[in-house]
Amino acid sequence: MVRFIGRRIFFAIVTILLVSAAVFAIFSFLPFDPASLTCGQRCTPQIIEGNRIKLGFDKPIYEQYWLFLSGIFVGRTYGSGSAAFSCPAPAFGYSFNENACVTDMIKESLPITLNLAVGALVIWLVLGISLGVIAAKFKNRWPDTSSSVFVLLGTSLPTFVTGLALLIWVSIKWKIVPMSLDGYVSVLDSPSRWFMYFILPWITLAIAYAALYTRFTRAAVLDTLGEDYIRTARAKGVRERTVLFKHTLRAVLAPIVTLAGLDFAGLVGGAIITETIFNLPGLARLTLRSVYEFDLPVVLATTILAAVVVIVMNLIVDMLYAVLDPRVRI
Amino acid sequence: MSSISALRRAVVVTAASSLVISAALVAGSQVANAAETPRTGGTLVLLEHEPRLDHLDPSRIYTGRDLAFMNSFHTRTLVAYNPVPGAAGANIVPDLATNTGVPSNSAKTWKFTLRPGTKFEDGTPITCEHVQYGTSRVFATDVITDGPAYLLSWLDIPKDADGNSIFTGPYKNTPAGLAAFKKAVSCSKDNRTITFNLNKSVADFNYLATYGTISPVQAKFDNGDAYDLKPQATGPYKISVNNKTELVLVRNKFWSKASDPVRTPYPDKVVIKFGLDEEVQDQIFLEDSQPNAMNFNGPLPTNKDKFFTNDEYKNRRMNNSDPYAIYIAFNLAKMPCLEVRAAMYYARNAKALLDYAGGPTYAGSYATGVISPLVALDYAPTKVVGPGSPDFMPEGNIPKAKALLETAKTKCPADYKKATEDGILIDVRQSSTLNDTIPINEAAYARAGIKVKFNIIASGYYSTVMNPAKQSDMSSAGWGADWANASTVIPELFASFGGFNLSQNSNDPAYKAFEDKVNIAMKTTDRKKQAEMWKALDKEAMKNFWVLPTTFGKAQEIWGSGLGGVFFWVPQGNPAYGKIWVKK
Amino acid sequence: MSELLRINDLHVAFPTDDGLVRAVDGVSLTVSQGETVAIVGESGSGKTVTSLSVMGLHKKGTAEISGSISVAHDGGFLDVITASEEEIRSMRGRSVAMIFQDPMSALHPYYKIGDQLAEAYLVHNPGKKKEAAARAVEMLDLVGISEPAQRAKEFPHQFSGGMRQRVMIAMALMNSPKMLIADEPTTALDVTVQAQILTLLASLQKEFNMGILLITHDLGVVAQVSEKVNVMYAGRIVEQGGVDDIFYNPMQPYTLGLLKSVPRISATGSERLKAIPGQPPSLISLPAGCAFAPRCEYIKFADSNACATQMPALVGTSAGHTSRCHIDESKRQASFAEAMKEVR
Repeated sequence: MVRFIGRRIFFAIVTILLVSAAVFAIFSFLPFDPASLTCGQRCTPQIIEGNRIKLGFDKPIYEQYWLFLSGIFVGRTYGSGSAAFSCPAPAFGYSFNENACVTDMIKESLPITLNLAVGALVIWLVLGISLGVIAAKFKNRWPDTSSSVFVLLGTSLPTFVTGLALLIWVSIKWKIVPMSLDGYVSVLDSPSRWFMYFILPWITLAIAYAALYTRFTRAAVLDTLGEDYIRTARAKGVRERTVLFKHTLRAVLAPIVTLAGLDFAGLVGGAIITETIFNLPGLARLTLRSVYEFDLPVVLATTILAAVVVIVMNLIVDMLYAVLDPRVRI
Repeated sequence: MSSISALRRAVVVTAASSLVISAALVAGSQVANAAETPRTGGTLVLLEHEPRLDHLDPSRIYTGRDLAFMNSFHTRTLVAYNPVPGAAGANIVPDLATNTGVPSNSAKTWKFTLRPGTKFEDGTPITCEHVQYGTSRVFATDVITDGPAYLLSWLDIPKDADGNSIFTGPYKNTPAGLAAFKKAVSCSKDNRTITFNLNKSVADFNYLATYGTISPVQAKFDNGDAYDLKPQATGPYKISVNNKTELVLVRNKFWSKASDPVRTPYPDKVVIKFGLDEEVQDQIFLEDSQPNAMNFNGPLPTNKDKFFTNDEYKNRRMNNSDPYAIYIAFNLAKMPCLEVRAAMYYARNAKALLDYAGGPTYAGSYATGVISPLVALDYAPTKVVGPGSPDFMPEGNIPKAKALLETAKTKCPADYKKATEDGILIDVRQSSTLNDTIPINEAAYARAGIKVKFNIIASGYYSTVMNPAKQSDMSSAGWGADWANASTVIPELFASFGGFNLSQNSNDPAYKAFEDKVNIAMKTTDRKKQAEMWKALDKEAMKNFWVLPTTFGKAQEIWGSGLGGVFFWVPQGNPAYGKIWVKK
Repeated sequence: MSELLRINDLHVAFPTDDGLVRAVDGVSLTVSQGETVAIVGESGSGKTVTSLSVMGLHKKGTAEISGSISVAHDGGFLDVITASEEEIRSMRGRSVAMIFQDPMSALHPYYKIGDQLAEAYLVHNPGKKKEAAARAVEMLDLVGISEPAQRAKEFPHQFSGGMRQRVMIAMALMNSPKMLIADEPTTALDVTVQAQILTLLASLQKEFNMGILLITHDLGVVAQVSEKVNVMYAGRIVEQGGVDDIFYNPMQPYTLGLLKSVPRISATGSERLKAIPGQPPSLISLPAGCAFAPRCEYIKFADSNACATQMPALVGTSAGHTSRCHIDESKRQASFAEAMKEVR
């Protein structure tokens, strides 16, 4: 087990290095001059060259990559003298557009995205699994039929429609969740305001995913209910409820956990529409804005971060799978 | 509303040709309910789609809206536009100074005396040295970017061999450079009077003093680029929060009403909320769910009819002309033939394009020149192009265009051939509406037998077309006056020394006489006389068809029922934010 | 010997889109303490459906069941067809236990063997966790699994096929049921393992004095362990009798066909298998007469009209040996004699 985890972590680190190098290389070969992107409307060649040196874009690409990597561990100082600015470790670059260290920008965005993703995950798992189990249990009867309507709506309605509809109707028109312009509040500071801030975004994301998970769970439960070991359980005299919630769900859990882990990874930095509609200054918004503004250091860092999250979630899912499925040997 | 902002706004106009509009020019529904008296207190909320303002640093702000906002609340300047409705709003009044500037030496020397009792947000009294330091920052061109750059060419500071100022700003100067600057911008012994020595006569120099580029900055707080995040306040409000979700202004206790004849602060707090979805914003105002909020970026084109045709919103909307003239510059180096240029104007289907962009209600009106009606004093219909001119027809005057081409056929056959056979190449910015507007243009020009082609530029539009080597036959552009004086329009666009001359007209037979008149107008201190000169020069430029003027734009604002005192501030082309108050 | 199971005129039909599938059509049989009763037949003959009916494992709404199934339970008899879900549940695993054909898939892959065994006990003895765990180890030991305490902590995938079937048997024995249904218990196993399992079953039967209902298609297995045999064809019992009756004196052409199809090694070397020609009939549209008639080699000895139109009744020469066939007793003796020589 320890050896397995060690080996997997080692390979994860190698993968992260390769991905970051690849992303770094791709960005270096983009047809933009990163230095000229750092300067505003009134740009002179002197400013561009100055910034080029300040940010290290004058150096060969492998050296830039090395500076980038070492910055993560020891921090980085750009320029020299009184005009210099430093980003302490872990430094992922400096954004000229924002006059800020990329790490600080990510630090501000990440909690919001994590709050969003975790909350949505909880809702869609509870909703999706319950509906899926109910639909399977009452196959071809009205609970199944109505859940299939939900599945159809959830999978076919784009997030921007559900999100906007929720915001406009539930928040602006009916004022059920009164719209607040107060911004992000930590759950530690005010649980109620935190909840109000996130509930609609959570629901928006959860609807789409819950629909998928309902469909997935229903199919998996039906499959499992046909398994021989379920018949064995019934032959033992196990109650139908226990058959469903213990024997069946336990077997369905492992693939759902896998799916959820990867979907969660996708949400970290990928909930662009939800973050945009609800004006959540999370990672996806940061990435999107940086792409629009050619804020390359930020795009670079968030791209690598997204890759890291996917790799790490894969690692976690694999380890969870080993815990959940005794047949998986590690 | 500055040149740069003009560029930006022009971009907006051309890119989102759905930016739409109204009938009456400079009409503007002004909400002035005399029965209501302004109330102090509350929070004014502005909703903004973008993630931040471009700049807060007084030396770097250059867009009309942001100037209207920051100068209303946060940044005091030597002189200021009078925040009142109507044409009087374009008058400048003393702000930090006790007067609007005293010119001498044929307007080559300008003196401003500072008002006593003015302070920074840390309580430090404002002195001449602070203004002097603030002014010096614009010379640090590698740090202080994007603001108005007139000082670089106007202040009497020697230039090096490359034509750059020997003073390089406060961050890395040389003793010689600093001495030269302090000679050009000097303080009196009592530190109350600041004197600007210019290298030429600038009759309207004091209008530049409405910009923060001439404003007090304390050297000890100046952290260069980062000063943009939290500049020191001199006005009634200071920045308490500035992050990617909001900009919060709270009262500055060191500001005193007695020292400020311009500002009348009403709300306790002013907040800009960043990053709101535009549809969500419009819904907020349609439902009036945030009564103390105002939109900071205009409603979506698709929602404008809802706001402007429904009486429910009549007290919380306005639709005004914006300060920008949109045009297509002719590159005279490639299109020297006047008749072909004129034919291009007359063959165009202005009506079809305006209707496509939202019609006169939201998109604006046919331009009569490059001076916007908002530069009220300097504006008059040229009667050469646009409404009021004898041959102007909104759908295009095809017989006139054909007649002009007929003349060109013998007079300038090369140009004629280009227009009728090779095709005239027009620079346009990449946008989602090109698919619709290009066919409209092609069809319109085909009526006169003219061929047009389009050079679609995806990024770096202005840096491309401003490069003579890269500019095509014609280039789409837009411009707005930096202040209520066409001195920031006519010379910038048409003089060989202008900063935004896309016409490359210095070899035109009509040019020499034109430039002479421009130089005279710039020196003229009698504003009324000067205005007549600008009007004549606008007319002359149109007669020569150095540009093809298209529209004077419009802009819409919408706000919640809890706000009072909203009116359109003509010189800034935006609401006078400082006069808005929050109802109970 | 007291009776443990009495099936009387059991009919099980499944409505489908194509029509009613009559999987079991009038089956009657009994199983008593200490005896092994086999049901033999091809796939689809209704033998597994019969066994699942006894456990009440057909899903409500999917099967139409009539007749009666009386199971000895709590000192009386429980009619599985009319009993409540809760009554059936309390019977399952306690009065009647069942083991299945494929031990590879019949155990839950995610739970430890010991826990799965213990659950069988806990279901009927709630709360007695310690006893359940101890009993699980005890039963594993009983079915011949070495180091049972250790292996109870392992998962099914760590066991071989034969071992898993032993585990299944151990699980069935957790509540010391009076009756065991073994549905093809050895079909999925190697031949050598088959013998071990059958020996185990036989010895356990003796020890617990259980009645066993053995479902199989393998006459070899039948010969080895059963006392009574029911031959099923197309949902009906076509011949019923003692094991010797069936093997030495079959009265039905189908039984004879089954005997003939058993591979054997004779003195003259191996022969080709004698498969019964043709296919079993569709259970949706059974022939009006004898279901086996279309495949019957001996139909010439009977009134062929009767075979096609009349279902033969289950009648016999003695009380313990009955069959369904229109062939006259005298003709049958003569015509089967030749074939029986081969079988011997």
